[in-house]
Amino acid sequence: MNVDHVDPGLKSMIKTSGSKAAISMTSVVPSRKSQRLISQPAVRPLLLGAASLLIVFVIWQFLSTFVFNPYLIPPPIQVIRTAIPMVLSGEIPADAAISMVRVLVGFVAGSLSGIIIGVLLGRVRLLHELLDPVLELLRYLSPTAMIPIAVIWFGIGEMSKYFLIFWGTFFIVVINTTAGVWRAPIARQRAAECLGASKLQIFVLVAIPSAVPYIVTGMRVAMASSFMSIIPAEILAADSGIGYLLQKSSMLLQTDRIFVALLAICLLGFLADRLFRLFADKVLTRYMTYVSLT
Amino acid sequence: MMGPPGTLMQRIYPRQHLMRVDDLGQELRLLRVSNVRKVFHSTRGTYTALDGASLTIEDGEFVCLLGPSGCGKSTLLNILAGFEPATSGAVFADDAPVTAAARDRVMLFQDAGTALLPWLSVEENMRFALRVRRIPKPEWPEVIDKYLHMVNLDRHRAKFPYELSGGMRQRLQIARALAVEPKVLLMDEPFAALDALTRRHMHAVLLDIWQRTGKTVVFVTHDIAEAISLADRIAVMSVGPCSAITKLIDIDLPRPRDLTNRKVAELFNEIEALLAPDLQRLDAMEAQ
Repeated sequence: MNVDHVDPGLKSMIKTSGSKAAISMTSVVPSRKSQRLISQPAVRPLLLGAASLLIVFVIWQFLSTFVFNPYLIPPPIQVIRTAIPMVLSGEIPADAAISMVRVLVGFVAGSLSGIIIGVLLGRVRLLHELLDPVLELLRYLSPTAMIPIAVIWFGIGEMSKYFLIFWGTFFIVVINTTAGVWRAPIARQRAAECLGASKLQIFVLVAIPSAVPYIVTGMRVAMASSFMSIIPAEILAADSGIGYLLQKSSMLLQTDRIFVALLAICLLGFLADRLFRLFADKVLTRYMTYVSLT
Repeated sequence: MMGPPGTLMQRIYPRQHLMRVDDLGQELRLLRVSNVRKVFHSTRGTYTALDGASLTIEDGEFVCLLGPSGCGKSTLLNILAGFEPATSGAVFADDAPVTAAARDRVMLFQDAGTALLPWLSVEENMRFALRVRRIPKPEWPEVIDKYLHMVNLDRHRAKFPYELSGGMRQRLQIARALAVEPKVLLMDEPFAALDALTRRHMHAVLLDIWQRTGKTVVFVTHDIAEAISLADRIAVMSVGPCSAITKLIDIDLPRPRDLTNRKVAELFNEIEALLAPDLQRLDAMEAQ
């Protein structure tokens, strides 16, 4: 059972809940408002992040104006100039929306089925022994490797994209969910057992909630992978979406438009992850906060 | 919250427990460990943790299983709880063989943070116990109030376990166990991870609850002082492999038992001397 990519996510989860606690603590301390704003741990990284981006843009601008061929690496100001009409005309929003819907449908379907299968695999030993070898082999087939066959199966319509994102999400979520249920503390299950809980109650009320941090981590990793696999899928087999925009611009050697599309992917991925974390924080707080403890 | 340890202790005196008697006038034993042997199999070979362990525990008694770490105390407790079967020999509760975890024996774990459901508040943890025990819902508020009050947590019912101190978490675990009205509390080094002051306070809390509720307590510890201050009877276990209960010590000293008291100190030295050869053997085994 490979659970390697559980840990970094858990660590970041610990960090987030840690900084949250720190915020609530600092806001209790009475102090001048402006001073508090800067000393707040959430504001500092925000300012530094903005500064870091600004510095990168300046360096990029300098290099592509004076060192590199601005045709191969268009300077940021030109990229922004290209981006504005693309955004205003609705070209970027339309393509982005199409890609996002594909990611969303595939991701939700993959996560749901991954959680259901993973939970069962974590509990039913026989099922795990039967299915694990199959999963262990299939998970090395990246969504990109599946594009040719997906096109034959589903054509270049939406279904093939849903399938590819599903493929990329499912295995990651299955493996993390299985590990989470598998690792639900024995003491917690035994404590419930001697209080009178049935096997089903231990499974539903103890083991599955114990696995939530693992499941959320798996979904975050899977979301990143979804964003990585939607683009090749759209480049090779689509007539819409951000990936298609990239492909089209490349054919016409429009490097500035390529850069706009690349920036759009960065922003969308970042936003999607933030939204997902916000959702996890709001809806699943009680299952997540204690991670920082144990 | 935490009162001075003395206040609770003062109310506790040696306990005259009522003996249950059957039709023939024979005294009923609540728990009986009969010649238990436990062998663990692993890839590195077999390990006989327990061999020939026998013990009888009466209703309402406070028994401590005392021994150095690795002597099979927790294994014996797990067998008593019904979590693990004995390889040979048997364990009886109310003269019925123990085959699985049952509602009248509740285990309390050392790590309360793990044993509790961390995503539920104090009150919700209590409700969880009542729910899985199928206690009718109208009775819940009364039971919850009663036991949260008993462990002095009723003002913290909306808090989550991670917001509680170690001692408070352990008290919640006790309240949750009591809520399902078991006959026996099986406690696996429940206070070992607490600081010394909190531990002393928890001893007082536990003795107070034991007196008020009349539960039978089987308490595993490696701390001689802890065993002396709590138990009616100490079952001393030998170092494994093949450990067994080597000596039973009745303590009829009044509680609270102060280690500066001459009799208590003598008892302490006696037990320490008893364990010394075993500890030397343990050292020798580790040196090999």
